[in-house]
Amino acid sequence: MFFLQELAEYENVAEHVKLTQKDLEQNGFTNNPFFHVIIAEVPEQHRTKEGQRKIGFALYFYSYSSFVGRAIYMEDLYVMPEFRGKGVGKALMSKVAQLGLAAGCHQLDFTVLNRNKPSMDFYFSQGCFDVTATIGYHCMRCKGEALKWGCAPNDM
Amino acid sequence: MASFILRTAEPKDVSDILRLIKELAKFEEMEEKVVLTEKDLLEDGFGDHPFYHCLVAEVPNEKSSEGYTVVGFAMYYFTYDPWIGKLLYLEDFFIMQEFRGLGIGSKVLKVLSETAVKTRCSAMHFIVAENNTKSIEFYKRRGAADLSSEEGWRLFAIEKKNLLKMSAK
Repeated sequence: MFFLQELAEYENVAEHVKLTQKDLEQNGFTNNPFFHVIIAEVPEQHRTKEGQRKIGFALYFYSYSSFVGRAIYMEDLYVMPEFRGKGVGKALMSKVAQLGLAAGCHQLDFTVLNRNKPSMDFYFSQGCFDVTATIGYHCMRCKGEALKWGCAPNDM
Repeated sequence: MASFILRTAEPKDVSDILRLIKELAKFEEMEEKVVLTEKDLLEDGFGDHPFYHCLVAEVPNEKSSEGYTVVGFAMYYFTYDPWIGKLLYLEDFFIMQEFRGLGIGSKVLKVLSETAVKTRCSAMHFIVAENNTKSIEFYKRRGAADLSSEEGWRLFAIEKKNLLKMSAK
């Protein structure tokens, strides 16, 4: 929960975090979880001045591509600022890739904000490509009232 | 006016599902990218832990010009947004050309939105090609937001050969 707030602040969208600790517990840690998390932890001697040893995480789930089949979607990847540049992000992403391959996945997808240049550079260096730029796919969302399609106006 | 039914896909539908996946890919000029097989669809959709769910639209009393009764489908699965929780992700949505304009697409979206609400999803997400202006307008009229344009989100992918390189590091 602490990480989700920090990542949201980095992306300047902190007010959009509506989830509570109880939601995370119910949705991630019962039978048929909706997501999985890998945590990066440092040994005692490297803990932060607030006493934190968990300094990064990757949240992912399994998805499906109608082109290639099983895929893995990395929803969040975050490393606390003072632990960046040490290969932690690469290690987290590598672990997600390993788990995906072990489960028979053929690709890993995720989204990045276009103003997050350091992350985009990191991902390009890992062999990723920008699907939005090259193929022109746009991410769309329906929420709240828009989710109730039954009230849709007639088109034509 | 064709009468149609919407139902949950069954194992016997996998060949129609693959046919429609390829038709949609052809429409997006990416037909050669579909490497999925009927066997994959069977294992991945109808085992103990399905990777996807599928709705099919069928016209039982008539057939398409090539003799098909399954004329549309929607493939979806559940994802997770750490800010708002469960989401319904619509991976593919396609109605054969000769059966459009009959309300099948709207009905499919209605059933999907009911599924989303029933399963306590906060939103439905999907992607659309930016040159598919007709579809983008259709969705925006129904209240969808274009996150790539409005918020700057870019979809990234890493394919298997680079995944293998990354996992070995």
